[in-house]
Amino acid sequence: MRDSARKALLNGRPKVFVGMATCGLATGAKKVFDALRHEVRARKLDLQIVETGCNGACFLEPLVDVVLPGQARITYANVTPQDAPGLIESITEGKVYEKRAVGRIGAEPFLLEDARKSYRRGKLAPEVKKVPPYSRVPFFRDQMHIAMRNCGFIDPSSVEEYIAKGGYAAAAKALTEMTPEQIIDAIKKSGLRGRGGGGFPTGRKWETCRNAHEEPKYVICNADEGDPGAYMDRSIIEGDPHSMIEGLIIGSYAIGAHTGYIYVREEYPLAVRRVRLALKQAEELGFLGENIFGSGHDFTIQINRGAGAFVCGESTALMASLEGRVGEPRAKYIHTVESGLWSKPSCLNNVETWNNVPVVIARGAEWFSGIGTEGSKGTKVFSLVGKVNHVGLVEVPMGLSLRQVIEDIGGGIPEGGVFKAVQTGGPSGGCIPAEYLDTPVDFDRLTELGSMMGSGGMIVMDDHTCMVDVARYFLAFLKDESCGKCVPCREGTRRMLDILTDICEGRGQPGDIELLGDLATAMVDGSLCALGGSAPNPVLTTLKYFGDEYRAHIEEKRCPAKVCRALIAYRINPDTCTGCTLCVAACPENAISGEKKQPHTIDASKCIKCGLCADACRFDAVEVV
Amino acid sequence: MEEKEVEFTIDGQPVRARPGETVLSVATREGIPIPALCHHEAVSPYGACRLCAVEVFWGKRSKLVTSCIYIPYENDRVETNNPRVRQLRRMVLELLLARCPNVEVIRDLAREYGADQPRFRTDATADTERCILCGLCVRVCAEVVGQYAIGYANRGMERVIATPFADHAEECVGCGACVFVCPTDALHYEDIDGQRIMKELKTTVPLLACRVCGRAFATEKQVERIRERLNLPDELAETCPACRGSQFRGVMEEALGLIPSTTSQKA
Repeated sequence: MRDSARKALLNGRPKVFVGMATCGLATGAKKVFDALRHEVRARKLDLQIVETGCNGACFLEPLVDVVLPGQARITYANVTPQDAPGLIESITEGKVYEKRAVGRIGAEPFLLEDARKSYRRGKLAPEVKKVPPYSRVPFFRDQMHIAMRNCGFIDPSSVEEYIAKGGYAAAAKALTEMTPEQIIDAIKKSGLRGRGGGGFPTGRKWETCRNAHEEPKYVICNADEGDPGAYMDRSIIEGDPHSMIEGLIIGSYAIGAHTGYIYVREEYPLAVRRVRLALKQAEELGFLGENIFGSGHDFTIQINRGAGAFVCGESTALMASLEGRVGEPRAKYIHTVESGLWSKPSCLNNVETWNNVPVVIARGAEWFSGIGTEGSKGTKVFSLVGKVNHVGLVEVPMGLSLRQVIEDIGGGIPEGGVFKAVQTGGPSGGCIPAEYLDTPVDFDRLTELGSMMGSGGMIVMDDHTCMVDVARYFLAFLKDESCGKCVPCREGTRRMLDILTDICEGRGQPGDIELLGDLATAMVDGSLCALGGSAPNPVLTTLKYFGDEYRAHIEEKRCPAKVCRALIAYRINPDTCTGCTLCVAACPENAISGEKKQPHTIDASKCIKCGLCADACRFDAVEVV
Repeated sequence: MEEKEVEFTIDGQPVRARPGETVLSVATREGIPIPALCHHEAVSPYGACRLCAVEVFWGKRSKLVTSCIYIPYENDRVETNNPRVRQLRRMVLELLLARCPNVEVIRDLAREYGADQPRFRTDATADTERCILCGLCVRVCAEVVGQYAIGYANRGMERVIATPFADHAEECVGCGACVFVCPTDALHYEDIDGQRIMKELKTTVPLLACRVCGRAFATEKQVERIRERLNLPDELAETCPACRGSQFRGVMEEALGLIPSTTSQKA
């Protein structure tokens, strides 16, 4: 089956892949796809054009990959519909469309079997040689794609292509050659830890769930990704939906569950569509249903769509929501693996964790545990966003330093900025300053710094960022997303936000920092779930590493980063102002006056500090003080 | 969950918990005071107010748990009033007091824990706000009355106790259990002109007059529910407790299964 499927994947015809995950679509990939197809039809070419997922290089999108028989695979970046004729032309001539070419791949990796299938036969054409191989493209060089193994390589709507890449082989192996105990043992030995935030050892979770007495048992995939700026789960589902399903099949067999749930955000319509289709295909091929692979194991999966509450990513709230109740957490003194969904043993892991499972089974625990650090094995996908040149999803082996991720892969800070901090772990993670940039990405090391791995959000900030304002931003998010059940979280996040807002708006008082500290202690100690318990992290880490900024705001009513509007003023430097009057035209409040060709002035009483004058000025004469 | 009795200590005192019994329940039985606002023995624990937090030690480790939910393990050492516990309660009370400065029970507790000088600014709504969202009303309505007439709406600070669509609740029988169980006097009802008005719940339920004395003694829906559950004859159900006495003793005892059935239709 795999051989025939593999023929479908690369069948000797020229094949064009267009990255059409949500990130690609947002940059116009659909128009590129249509333009390419139009060209192909107009020229009546024997050429396949397929949709594929995102390979992570979101800053290069729309991305188009071209495989010509016998030649290296070429990646084209930032392709526009206008490029379509030229690109198709170059394909028909067997050449490289140099304008957009950014990298070449010599061989297609088949991660599950440790095989590589070379695209190329014979020598590289000189013009192909001019395109740098991925191993020399800084963004890809240090990455290792396990979770994202198929993203960008297969058509996510084709189960054949997934099978061609070794898909469902791990499930077949697990169900027909391994006992549940052997599987759990392999997962334990691999050192795989939950990728959703907590970092709990996956094997131990499975084992406890398997050993729980009650029946039936459930396996659940948490695809309710809610961290601002994090979208790795969405991308994996959109690019490779079967990998998560295969993980669930293996897990259900190991744990002894016959029903699985995928709880996915309604805000991810494409992901929902992809999962639906993938489930249907898996059912048709007998990978789901009764007596899977003749093993006697029955298993079905249902989709539930989350309605957009951040707290529903918390396991007990998610299960309450699955049951049709209000999505609010409960105390977990009895763990969900013992008493979860409908008070039955339930094993919940997130998309990336389930997606890693087939790899562990196929390649073996030893191989997997050879990657990463002492306490954190394998790779982790991060969504690298913010003030960084290469915005996108990066998957790196655990243990790579933050500096390597941000400077090498991320390409550093855009011009005019200096690195100030990186916020890891989503809204309730922490801000890590430059002095800790050499910290390896590892569950425990990030926790030591007061931050966390979380689901893998990585927001880079430069020196134009006010850390008090950052803390305020995250607390505003958490205050809105607190379910409101317990007092420390509901009232605490709100009071923290009040205090931070006061500080940012020049109403900070002596004692505020102490009060923030007292609140944080109570929230960490007293909150019902991890949302409240980790909500103070943005405040605690910014206080710890950027305490001077808080003091400048409170004591001197000064915002060192010149961000907090109440604490800054716009002024025109008379030495550099040429009196061109552009700022006068830009000012919505008529706050700027002056004679033509004479230095102008801003009336502070009228100025609303919108900054439009500074944007309009061509001589950098408008200063923030 | 432990299947047998569990031995552990509370503040150094050896105690025993019955299978499935919480620390708060054991402490209450043993006369060890632990404050709690969202707990009531008639309904399932919820763990929302966090006032009943206690610190549990096992080996060298410890953590704060809510005693209304936490079921102790053998050899747990529970401390109900140490500095860490008091610090959490103080902050919880400081937060609650800032929300509802005019609620007596919170003011008293805040004074006890030295939290009566809140450092937070007072809200515009603080004068009239009495609800701390403990959820006792919601639970009593669902679990004891069985009506599910009220629930929570919105989330976070916007969260409120509300009837469906914040309008007259068809499900509400006007029994007043929610008013009775509310620890902060946030819910009220008033009987005016043959109607029971549940002010905060925007619900009005007609009252029923006693067949004998003519005095309104319960709501129509309430009587209806009781009649359904106990299979009472109309005359008995629609007579107030004061008038019921001698006239209906036989019928009542029969209905409640206290004496064997006679064929009496009318007393």
